[in-house]
Amino acid sequence: MVPLKIIVAGAGAWLAIITAAHLSLNVDWNVLLNDRLPINKRKLNVAYIPVT
Amino acid sequence: MFQGFPEIKEALMSNKMQAGFMVAPMAIALRAQGVPIKIVYLGHRYGSAVVVAKNGPIRTFADLRGRTIAIPSRYSDERLIVFKALKQHGMSAKDIRMVEMAPPDVAGALAADAIDAFSMGEPYPSQAEMAGFGRILFHAREYWPDYISCVLVVRQDIIDHRPDAVQVLVDGIARSGLWLDNPPRRQVRREHAADFVGRYYYRQNPALLRWALTKPLDRVLYQPLTPRRGDFELIVSLMRETGVLDRPIAFEEYVDTRFAEGARHETEWRYEPGDATAQ
Repeated sequence: MVPLKIIVAGAGAWLAIITAAHLSLNVDWNVLLNDRLPINKRKLNVAYIPVT
Repeated sequence: MFQGFPEIKEALMSNKMQAGFMVAPMAIALRAQGVPIKIVYLGHRYGSAVVVAKNGPIRTFADLRGRTIAIPSRYSDERLIVFKALKQHGMSAKDIRMVEMAPPDVAGALAADAIDAFSMGEPYPSQAEMAGFGRILFHAREYWPDYISCVLVVRQDIIDHRPDAVQVLVDGIARSGLWLDNPPRRQVRREHAADFVGRYYYRQNPALLRWALTKPLDRVLYQPLTPRRGDFELIVSLMRETGVLDRPIAFEEYVDTRFAEGARHETEWRYEPGDATAQ
């Protein structure tokens, strides 16, 4: 039998890895940080589609 | 990067985006509906075409009668150019079927025979030509000599509170346009631009953009980009005529020309392919 301590540690490690991967892959930190700057210091976000 | 103009519209309205490139009629319609944006500059001139199957039965505009043609949006110059051509050939909107389709989907739809033609901005006409299944029926300039399509719009709150930032943006576009259209260096610069824009911005095959920018070199032009009253009044008039604008709207209500005027004395970027930075 696997000790409970190892199961909890494994689940915790898995949760930490998934959370870190999500924060790294799915969150645009530049946008989040930009939104927190004063309005006169923010970078403008310019939208475009891949046409001329 | 977005895949369609309606998504850009939503992003501007929700302030996720503060500026964006969109088709001129959509910008005018949004302003007429009270959305606080203004057109401050053009993205380019020309660069739209109607494309049909290379070996298909459509050889002239009149052959489009009863056929299906894809357009990017009902609020697009690509739709208006079809109306202009219809009128010139004594036809009406009832003679063809127009369907709205996201620009990246049209070349595939033509190849699969799901549509008979499309009216779209580059590089999609080039995509169909380059792949060997599409043929240009006509370029927009053949029916509309001063044709414009994409314009730069900026939210009014940014214009009011950060005019300096808007001016920097417009100056940069003006300098890029001058750089791309410098006559003696046009070919080599456009090839270089196709390479880095394809790789780093559009995520498209650089060979496709090279085709769109160089076959021929005036297929798309990047000056003059100052919004001109006559060009926009023609668009408003065509929008009214074709039922996508329900009231007249004054040029000053949807265009702010001060940034284009501020960029008038800009010079091209000091940059050549291979340089580490542009100045």
